[in-house]
Amino acid sequence: MHARSLPWLLLAPALLATGFLVLLPVADTLWLSLHDVILYRPRSQPFVGLGNYIALLDDADFWESLGHSLVWVVVAVGLQFSLGFTAALLLNRAFPWRGLARALVIVPWALPSVIIGLVWTWMLDFNLGLINTLGLRWGLLDAPVAWLAQPGTAMLAVILAVVWQGFPFFAITLLAGLQGIPKELYEAAEIDGASTFNSFRNVTLPSLAPVIATALLLRMIWVANSLDLILVMTGGGPGTATQTLPLYAFLKAWSGADYGHGSALAVVLAILLLGVVSTYAARANR
Amino acid sequence: MKRRHLLTTAAALAAAPLALAHAQKKTTIRWWYHFDDPASNPAALVADFEKANPDITVQAESIPWGGGADYDNRLYAAIIAGNAPDAAMVKFNNQPRLIEMEALAPLDSYIDGWSGKADIAEDFWRLHRAPDGHRYYLPVQYVVLYLYCRQDWFAKAGLKLPTNFEDFTAAAQALTGADRWGFGLRGGAGGHDHWASLVLGNGAKLSKGGLTSPAALAANKWFIELFTQRKVFPPSAPNDGFVQTINNMKSGRTAMTIHHIGSANDMQAALGDAITAVPVPIGSTGGWSSFGDGSNAVLAQSKSRDAAWKWISYLSTGAANVAFNKLSGQVTVTTSGARDWNVQPARFLAATTASLKMAQVLPPTAQTADFTRTVWPQTTQKALLGQITPDAMMQTFEKLYFG
Repeated sequence: MHARSLPWLLLAPALLATGFLVLLPVADTLWLSLHDVILYRPRSQPFVGLGNYIALLDDADFWESLGHSLVWVVVAVGLQFSLGFTAALLLNRAFPWRGLARALVIVPWALPSVIIGLVWTWMLDFNLGLINTLGLRWGLLDAPVAWLAQPGTAMLAVILAVVWQGFPFFAITLLAGLQGIPKELYEAAEIDGASTFNSFRNVTLPSLAPVIATALLLRMIWVANSLDLILVMTGGGPGTATQTLPLYAFLKAWSGADYGHGSALAVVLAILLLGVVSTYAARANR
Repeated sequence: MKRRHLLTTAAALAAAPLALAHAQKKTTIRWWYHFDDPASNPAALVADFEKANPDITVQAESIPWGGGADYDNRLYAAIIAGNAPDAAMVKFNNQPRLIEMEALAPLDSYIDGWSGKADIAEDFWRLHRAPDGHRYYLPVQYVVLYLYCRQDWFAKAGLKLPTNFEDFTAAAQALTGADRWGFGLRGGAGGHDHWASLVLGNGAKLSKGGLTSPAALAANKWFIELFTQRKVFPPSAPNDGFVQTINNMKSGRTAMTIHHIGSANDMQAALGDAITAVPVPIGSTGGWSSFGDGSNAVLAQSKSRDAAWKWISYLSTGAANVAFNKLSGQVTVTTSGARDWNVQPARFLAATTASLKMAQVLPPTAQTADFTRTVWPQTTQKALLGQITPDAMMQTFEKLYFG
């Protein structure tokens, strides 16, 4: 009896913490999403069943935000991975001051998102921003560009900021993976007459594949959930040009005080991410 | 010796209940506040008040503003949790929600019996009366929006400072040139005040059908075309917030913008006598200048309403109100305090008081918070970018307010 209960006893603190900090809020969000909950009407919270979810089907802003989320995740994570992988390959080579370069590359990852958002907002400022000043000085631009005030460039601008913030994660993770590949594999490939490209394709990529897959899954989840950079840089604007699903849920719940609708949006986002999360969990359990 | 010690102990024991009773009489009230400048601290005001009212302790709590949503939602959450402050700074736009929550204590009897009532102008009492006829808010500060103008550029171009929309349009166009724009529009959150002055003051009305009447649609079309056709706003206008519009003015990028006396000292420091202020243009509907209100309220949950009233009424009285507004950067609501007002240069106060006659507030309904925070910026930005028509923009507003 004692032997059977001991593991549960040891797990109890972690289970309690998880229950209070994760399961309870999730259950509360589900409850909110099935009710018409307006923060300033605490006495009237009628049960609406799936009403909040059905309303999403006719909500043009929901579908637009979903589309923006897709672009945001695919382009941002794709660019972060490409840049991070390139940086990892460079940092894996021997060159002077490599230690310093490896330390510096982590800086964007170490900065708070709000600071990064403010820094990029000022760099992209129409009148006083560094990007316009340099673009004009070097002849790359004919006139200053209102980067954050045009739908096309605003999405590019927020993606640029999140790429800068997130590529060090890939760089450091993939660098660790690269350093774990046995040298003998490259030596064998060289003896077999493999070119540099063939070594990369047949040794580096297969050896790194598990690390790449895990890093991509993790980063997709984080980027899909993140809204702080967009909130600081554009607030979802101009119009709704950079409004992603988590930001829409936040604005509905926090600015609009409509917690029923906002919770339904959050649950939909969670369900969409569940596919990615379960893939990650399956990999982690292998 | 021993007997003397016993007597002393007995006396101390006898006095203890009295001391305890005295200590229990001391009331602590919690007061929520927000100043634009987070470095502003009301500690000196609290100390003065506590000196005059030794039975009351004021616990002043600075609450983040976050465009209004952070402050309001924290207040609603505190009320729902039964942990509301005794008193709080509040604005008109959250009054309908607070009344719906039955969260406000009526102040009618307090105000009617208050010696400071006569020192606050009747206009304030008119504006501060709730739709149900009660008074829940005690005015503590105010601003009225006005039009900043680069008077040196106007003089050089031989233009007069605008009083009507024809002059305004002509000046905005004449003063737009290379790297310079006639008017700095705030297209981001908070910009509804600009729109209200330029559209509600020029043909549109906030009444059923008043936002989609031919005059209203014409006024809004003119407003949007200032950007899309005449190009007198900077290209960044759709996303510009407070910081950008003020910086554009200070750095000589724009000739006019709309704000209030809270930024006057900054403008004076950056531009000196080159900048002045006048009331916003007056159009066919008589002009609209947004009244930037700031009040204190006593929360219904408070168990110390009398003490809370004492504190908030102190803040709206003579010298204390002047000191308060030096911290907030706004204007005293007291007639006595306004006589010797020297916190900002006189021309900006003159523009403020001249604008009072057309001071207006958005409807005191639950829709107003939605309008100012999300509906106005998102819809206007879409119209400025050509994603929807100016008429569709007004129809969205009409639908929000009047169904």
